[in-house]
Amino acid sequence: MGTALLVFRLAIRDVRRHVAQAALLVVAIAAAAATLTMALALNGVTSQQPYAATRAAAKGPDVVAYLTSASQAKSLIHASGVASSSGPYPVASAVIRFHGRIADVFAEGRSPAPVAVDQPLLTAGDWVRPDGVVIERTFADALGVSVGDEVSVGGRSFVVAGIAVTAAQAPYPNLCNGTLLGPDAMESRFSNACPPSFKIPTLSLSGHRELSSSDDVGLIWTTESDAIGLTSPADPLTTYALNLKLTPPVDAQAFAYEHFQSNPLAVATWEGIASEDGLLVRDGQGVLQPGALLLALLAIASVAVLVGRRLSEYARRVGLLKAVGGTPSLVAVVFLVENLVLALFAALVGLMAGWLASPLVVKPGAALVGSAGAPAISVTTVAEVVGLAIVVSLAATLVPAIRAARGSTVAALNDIGRPPRRRGTLIRISTKLPIPALYGLRLVARRPRRALLNGANIAVTVTGIVAVLAFHAYADDKLSGASALTAGGLSNPVINRDEQMLTVITVMILTLAVLNALFTTWAMVLDARRSSALMRALGARARQVSSGLVLAQVLSALPGAILGVPLGFGLFTAAVHGGTLPPVSWLVAAVLGTLVAMAGLTIVPATMGTRQPVTEVLQAEAA
Amino acid sequence: MTKEEATKGVESLLLRTQGLRKEYGRDEGLVRAVDDVDLEVTRGETLAVMGPSGCGKSTLLHLLGGLDRPSGGELWLDGKRIDRLSERGLARLRRWDIGFVFQAFHLMDELTARENVELPALIAGRSSRQAGVRALELLDQVGLADRAGHLPSALSGGQRQRVAIARSLVNEPLVVLADEPTGNLDSAATLEVLRLFDHLHASGQTLVIVTHDERVAATADRIVSMRDGALVDEIRLTGGTRANLRDLMTLER
Amino acid sequence: MQQEVVLALLAKEPSQGYQLRARLNDALGPLGEALNAGQIYVVLGRLEKTGLVSLEGVTGTRDGERKVYALTPSGQERVSEWLAEVTWPKPDLAEFHLKLIAAAAAGLADPIGIVDAQRRELLRRLRDVQRAELEEPDGSDAALLLEGIVLRLQADLRWLEACEANWTTRRRKQ
Repeated sequence: MGTALLVFRLAIRDVRRHVAQAALLVVAIAAAAATLTMALALNGVTSQQPYAATRAAAKGPDVVAYLTSASQAKSLIHASGVASSSGPYPVASAVIRFHGRIADVFAEGRSPAPVAVDQPLLTAGDWVRPDGVVIERTFADALGVSVGDEVSVGGRSFVVAGIAVTAAQAPYPNLCNGTLLGPDAMESRFSNACPPSFKIPTLSLSGHRELSSSDDVGLIWTTESDAIGLTSPADPLTTYALNLKLTPPVDAQAFAYEHFQSNPLAVATWEGIASEDGLLVRDGQGVLQPGALLLALLAIASVAVLVGRRLSEYARRVGLLKAVGGTPSLVAVVFLVENLVLALFAALVGLMAGWLASPLVVKPGAALVGSAGAPAISVTTVAEVVGLAIVVSLAATLVPAIRAARGSTVAALNDIGRPPRRRGTLIRISTKLPIPALYGLRLVARRPRRALLNGANIAVTVTGIVAVLAFHAYADDKLSGASALTAGGLSNPVINRDEQMLTVITVMILTLAVLNALFTTWAMVLDARRSSALMRALGARARQVSSGLVLAQVLSALPGAILGVPLGFGLFTAAVHGGTLPPVSWLVAAVLGTLVAMAGLTIVPATMGTRQPVTEVLQAEAA
Repeated sequence: MTKEEATKGVESLLLRTQGLRKEYGRDEGLVRAVDDVDLEVTRGETLAVMGPSGCGKSTLLHLLGGLDRPSGGELWLDGKRIDRLSERGLARLRRWDIGFVFQAFHLMDELTARENVELPALIAGRSSRQAGVRALELLDQVGLADRAGHLPSALSGGQRQRVAIARSLVNEPLVVLADEPTGNLDSAATLEVLRLFDHLHASGQTLVIVTHDERVAATADRIVSMRDGALVDEIRLTGGTRANLRDLMTLER
Repeated sequence: MQQEVVLALLAKEPSQGYQLRARLNDALGPLGEALNAGQIYVVLGRLEKTGLVSLEGVTGTRDGERKVYALTPSGQERVSEWLAEVTWPKPDLAEFHLKLIAAAAAGLADPIGIVDAQRRELLRRLRDVQRAELEEPDGSDAALLLEGIVLRLQADLRWLEACEANWTTRRRKQ
């Protein structure tokens, strides 16, 4: 018990003396923890099956059929296996305008009275009335409308009567929807993540060619007469929607196959719609999970760097512990415990941050009922996040701790730190180089482990950057040039959210990487103080010495930066299953930019180091 | 200037300081590490600077060697004024004109003896081959040719200091400055180093040695003493005759 | 020349005077050259008178007679005693110390000046002895002796520095 208390007190005292480093450690691990929390929350959202909740609340159909005339409905309504139905409802295509934004819409004409199948659930306002439209919730978000706003549909003015969610259609924007099609009915699927059972209504776009993006079609509900009123001889009514509920046991696929074998695009099953909902979420996960992994790796690297310097100081403090009856193994235990406690604290911070931020992430499942607000954090999530923090902490501290524990007390007291390594060949090669290169190369050669750590840091950073670039290239490709804004000026919520998450993760990665780099360069400059002073004493110029320091950093970072490119792209394709390599110029810019940033970060401590008078340094080091 | 010095001619003066000062702190906290020192060193002379610890002799040496900037006064090396040099100029000074030997040797632990010795030559721009050859030459001169490939950890204290001395000579400096060169050595190693200094002196190298060891000082042509940053005494050691040795016989009761 | 030294040199075997001298020279190196050549015979004579050494015989050579000396039993005893003695020849610090105090008290001279002068002298001697030592081959007997003298001088010099510091402080306090 006494030992435990002692360990605890020593650990606390240690943290108090190195608050900055402890804070950094917490930040690094918390970032990774927060990202993981968000990823798991998103996961939780799908596993909570909110689609099922929506389906129940909005009386979702088992099958939705898109017919070209109302008369086709009769045979389906009376087909075997059909329990109930609603419709056929006329579906007109029109253009909606609101505050300068334009989008294509499908306007489904409905009766004001509620029906038994597919009664969209109002989340705000009232149901349809003459001159009053109800807008699907995700689309309403993208358009930026709220109840009571005036919109123009098909040239006519309407008021937004309400906002609702439905289980009969996947929410805006339709990721799988590529079939929107001009009169030539060209299919243009762009994501092969679509489940094979999903079918898309064959509706023709209104003739407005300026709206180039084919999936920016929103869903609104109007009264039947209003819907018909939106058609014109030039733009006739060609589609009717029929919602069917089947008798149990419900096999929507079989029903769809039986009746629509020849025209598979005319029917949608509830499983298909559900999986498209899921796609939105999985799409988000595709960003978060790799992001969490990258951050975890960076966190390990950060902790390793932070901890590496401190271990030699620990060794020196063994003398103090000896007075208390301690040994090197006690030192190691204090060390491990301290870092573990900090990691746990960081896990808590990350959990909270991730929980608070998760609505941001979960939002474009806004069509899904019960997903507004922060989702509950399950026990498994907490366990997994804490587990991550522990793994990160141990990964970085276990090896040094074991080494410290095994070390002899005498050696620790005399602070026989690891002597620099000798690489005869590299030294010989360096003699043929100009002085900065000679010095830089020798610096890398004498501490290969640190060079490796540096390279690993940079590799992780560049991996993150390349993955982000690959996403941008992919997104650009996907929206054929348009970014987060559709041609009509609407914000594409999925891309938006994805980009938001990406931005946040990229910022976190970059911040951690910069902090990491700063610490590494600072550690390196400090470690090289004596040899830098000696070089100057022997006649090297301060500029040559600081250039050597910069070169050493860049040299150790270079392999990592280059490695980060294939790793980053690999990570992206693994997450998204597809995608093209970003343009070479971007990749080169990423690599060069990182190296230049590294060089820049080294210049300041390097120059400051070479300002100190030689004799001061040499006397301090000799003492 | 005495008549003797005047007849010597100013060219034979290698090192000259006038009113050299180094101060730290301000007002009440002002510390005069080197206080208005006038010093002259002739070519080929070995000068010893003695004094109690903290008297400023090491600081003086660092000023002479361009490792630190004086707060005031003049410093001349080989007829050129060096107290106002830029960082670049000082670096060149340390490269070509001055060799420094430290008390703690300050060899690079991961370099062999030869690599340590050749380093100043490489810094001075000599080719890899030239530098290596010159390093071996010097190691031979100090009697460590067979240890050229050894790391400092495999050398004794005296051997390390001899490597350091060899290093200080590699660019044929005008003057070698040694700061307590035997401070970390036992008496046997001290003798090795003294023998080396003797050889250097015989070959005409100008040496300025800061030391508190009387044995080391006794090898010099001239000893100056410092106290509290100022020169207080000067002793010229002329060679004694053998007859003196008789006095040293303590065999008579 | 200590009598006991000559006695001890004879302990190995009966020898002639010149042999003893040669052995002394070997052991003393350059210091031996300062020895008066005739001193040995004076000491031998004294030792013979006190009965510690006896004349073994006389060898005849073409150059004339050479006396051969040998230890008597009491001589041998004396040697054994001497080897076991641990007194160390005393340097005369007390005299110098009193010199300084007397000079200061009587105002005859500046003690610091006296110390400086003594220091100068000792440094010169140190230089000479050290030079001699450096010229000796490594590990020779003479080198070892010279080292001892050097170290003694060094110790004395240290004491002189302490004197200087002490007397400077005294003066400042006045």
